[in-house]
Amino acid sequence: MIENTLDNYAYTNSIKDANVSFKVLFAILTVIVCLVSTSPVIPLTITFLMLFLIIFLAKIPFKFYLKFLSIPFIFGFMTFIFMTVFFGISEPWFNIGIFNLAVYKDGLNLGFLVLARIMGCFSCLGFLVLTTPINEIFFLLERFRIPKIIIEIAMMMYRYIFVFLDESGKMYNSQQTRLGYSSLKNTYRSVALLASNLFIKTWSKGEQLYITMESRCYNGSIKTFEVQKSIDIENLFLLLSFEFLLLLGVYLTRGFKVI
Amino acid sequence: MGEEMNVVEAIDVTYHYPDGTKALEKVNFRVDEGKIVALLGPNGAGKSTLFLHFNGILRPSSGEIKINGNSVEYSKKGLMKVRQTVGIVFQNPDDQLFAPTVVEDVAFGPMNIGLSKDEVERRVRESLEKVGMLGFEKKPPHHLSGGEKKRVAIAGILAMKPKIMVLDEPTSGLDPKGASQILKILYELNEEGMTIIISTHDVDMVPLYANQIYIISQGAIIKEGTPQKVFEDIETIRGANLRLPRIAHLMEILQKEDKLPFEKPYPLTIGQARKRVLKHFEDLQ
Repeated sequence: MIENTLDNYAYTNSIKDANVSFKVLFAILTVIVCLVSTSPVIPLTITFLMLFLIIFLAKIPFKFYLKFLSIPFIFGFMTFIFMTVFFGISEPWFNIGIFNLAVYKDGLNLGFLVLARIMGCFSCLGFLVLTTPINEIFFLLERFRIPKIIIEIAMMMYRYIFVFLDESGKMYNSQQTRLGYSSLKNTYRSVALLASNLFIKTWSKGEQLYITMESRCYNGSIKTFEVQKSIDIENLFLLLSFEFLLLLGVYLTRGFKVI
Repeated sequence: MGEEMNVVEAIDVTYHYPDGTKALEKVNFRVDEGKIVALLGPNGAGKSTLFLHFNGILRPSSGEIKINGNSVEYSKKGLMKVRQTVGIVFQNPDDQLFAPTVVEDVAFGPMNIGLSKDEVERRVRESLEKVGMLGFEKKPPHHLSGGEKKRVAIAGILAMKPKIMVLDEPTSGLDPKGASQILKILYELNEEGMTIIISTHDVDMVPLYANQIYIISQGAIIKEGTPQKVFEDIETIRGANLRLPRIAHLMEILQKEDKLPFEKPYPLTIGQARKRVLKHFEDLQ
């Protein structure tokens, strides 16, 4: 399952121990640069840079990462096609010949920019998701003064997603064993049963969890234990100069058009 | 200390569920300090319900729970104290491990007690070391095997430094190696002076570790004593949907069917049986 492997890589990649604040700041700043850029050059550069970082630095298998990227690419490509055909305001570049559709130059440019931005931003997020264990992000959120209750709920949701994924997998198998998915009608019924049963299980697990937490002196708030290191000046400087270089690239390529 | 102290004591404890069903009926249960006590009973006999009384999660409808000779106080402060003294390891580790990483989960209890970060860190290290899970600190629980989860759950309780550890079916669902690792940990803890209470229906293992056995059936204690004494009463054991340990059963068959001179009390463990068989051969020669 893709969620499972994503989570696995986040905990096993070779830069999992790098400073979290650094990784988050790096991803967010690069996303912003991507969005600021008015030409597709820099977003595409970022896409390839991230590809390089993810595969050679974090050592995520190339095949897996391509599969991961194919999802935004499919959506981005569809957007690109639609924009090319429908978003032009200037003279058509050429006619396709069916349904009186035409390709517009400005539409094509805009579409390609959007595609490049999608890929660039998604690569940044991919970098973050694939290299950073989620619990570390929780701690960071805490430092950003996000209300504790939200983080606690998120923490437990994250943990129990996997418990329930496991649980529903077992239920699904047991339903399949008894031919629960043999016809469309059966499938509808089985899915409904699975969902309602999972809901009840969630409820009772929640109660059980509360008992176990109470047994360990829970008094209404989870106190986190790990401390976060801040980024040191040297790395911060490197990061900022990198982002500055990208911004410079954005400025220099601002007038670039595909056609 | 001249006299052995009852560290956990249930006196005439009766408990009704909120819907009125009786779960426990005048249960009397005593545990001496430093002992390993097994609570043996079939599914649904009330083992877990009784355990939840020991740290004040459930309050008896009538009767009394005493920890270290003092009645449990059901005030916030009293409950904090009881829960630090009596740690419960629940049957399903997934119910207990809620934090995104092992270290956070083990630190949960000590953080709730309000200890300093240094002390928490030390306790987390010590507990993980005791259960052999050092090096797993940063892992999320769903990347662990069943046995590993169980050991982390035990570490989470150990980190609170309880005097008494209560384990609900600690070996259920584990493979033989996982189960024997858990038992080894419990032995070591007991050597260090911890009192241990275990609920189980694994009759083969019980004689290996338990100093004292209680048998619970339909919410009532129907038998108590040393393993030898309890397993002598075969009718009661079978009446409670339990059975003799396999090795004792073999001896019973050898005596009754094959007329071999293996009289009661039947040996309960492989070690005891071996002695008995060797002695029999010596007598023959």
